[in-house]
Amino acid sequence: MLRLMAKRLLGTASRDIPSRPLQILPRLYHENVIDHYNNPRNVGSFDKNDPNVGTGLVGAPACGDVMKLQIKIDEESGKIVDACFKTFGCGSAIASSSVATEWVKGKSMDEVLTIKNTEIAKHLSLPPVKLHCSMLAEDAIKAAVKDAEAKRAKMNGTLKGADVKSG
Amino acid sequence: MYKMMQLWTPLSTVFRRVLPTTCCLASFTANSQFASLSSHLQSSSRVPLRYGLDFSPYSKISLLSFCSQSAAKLDSTTKRCWNCLAEATGSTPFLYCDSCRSIQPVDLSIDYFKIFGLEKKYEIEVDGLEGKYKDWQKKLHPDLVHSKSEKEREYAAEQSARVIDAYRTLSKPLSRAIYILRLEGVDVDEEQTVSDPELLTEIMEIREAVEEATDSQALNQVQSRMNEKLEETSDSFANAFQRRNLDEAVTCIQKMTYYQRASLCCSCNVIMGSTTLRIEEMITTDV
Repeated sequence: MLRLMAKRLLGTASRDIPSRPLQILPRLYHENVIDHYNNPRNVGSFDKNDPNVGTGLVGAPACGDVMKLQIKIDEESGKIVDACFKTFGCGSAIASSSVATEWVKGKSMDEVLTIKNTEIAKHLSLPPVKLHCSMLAEDAIKAAVKDAEAKRAKMNGTLKGADVKSG
Repeated sequence: MYKMMQLWTPLSTVFRRVLPTTCCLASFTANSQFASLSSHLQSSSRVPLRYGLDFSPYSKISLLSFCSQSAAKLDSTTKRCWNCLAEATGSTPFLYCDSCRSIQPVDLSIDYFKIFGLEKKYEIEVDGLEGKYKDWQKKLHPDLVHSKSEKEREYAAEQSARVIDAYRTLSKPLSRAIYILRLEGVDVDEEQTVSDPELLTEIMEIREAVEEATDSQALNQVQSRMNEKLEETSDSFANAFQRRNLDEAVTCIQKMTYYQRASLCCSCNVIMGSTTLRIEEMITTDV
């Protein structure tokens, strides 16, 4: 059947001098993805050893992608005041992590845990084959929060210990 | 996995898929040639057209299984030539009937190792593959069957595509590793996220080194380091697989994928670097 369609298309092209070229539907990146790829927001690194920095390092071995997402927590409010990322992967993976860093700023750690990969994918109009890139970004956020919380717990634990000693 | 297939398989294959299993290859002549070509293209890279790396041919296997399952079932018990009814000799895989020189339909029970007459082991003699591959193509290649029936021309297209796939899969360590695990029923999950901090930190550092490399010498250094790591991890895989420690085997495959990717980035950057240099030369000399 495909052969018939192809013949018909070719037939038309040769009969009429191409007034309308053969239209092949391209698979394009959504403009949001291109925007994030060309003007990535928040690329960079924070000091991993800073107690107020949570680092999420995740990878998708099947496609060789690796994503690092870092969040900076405000000591008092516990909210995320800054975020940065570094991603080695496809345009969709880069865009997903870029979007993630934008979305976590100004939110509390509990709040960002509710960010779903489907929301990121929708914002970037990711095709099914790229859904796992947004999943990777969601996992990166969760990993960063987990790290930040662990550091905070450790810090609080040490402080409590210090109080007991001095008291 | 199927989501990916829906994107890449052409309409003809979709039609082919929804038809009942009693359909035989012959009745869909228009479709199957395109289907086999597209599935061949699809199978040559897990992430099609992006990196051009040969990762897994699974999509092709699952595609073929829908329609040729019935054919395989019919032939597996008796294994006779469809044309002259001669019985298959046990010595060579039955892709081709020596008695009447007819190409046989694809039989999925013949795995890639069998096609090349190899034991199902990870460590193989890669040098021996090319010769056998050419020998097969001398019998199966579609260019040799122009005067034959449409049915046989289809068989030729599918068999030779499968042999090409087998050759590519077995030639490279990573694809061979993935395939052999697949035969054991272990699919290296495409969309799995890993968070092993040691491995990922290492990979992150390597990728950063590649990005920040100032000249092709530095890149070549990184690349040779990657090739060393690939060999080491390949040996670890062989070891793990032999001990049937499949989890460890999967981890080795994940590492190999990362090292291979980094090595590819080095090559790309070398090419980009030299192209940039050439362009700069052209610009500066063309005053």
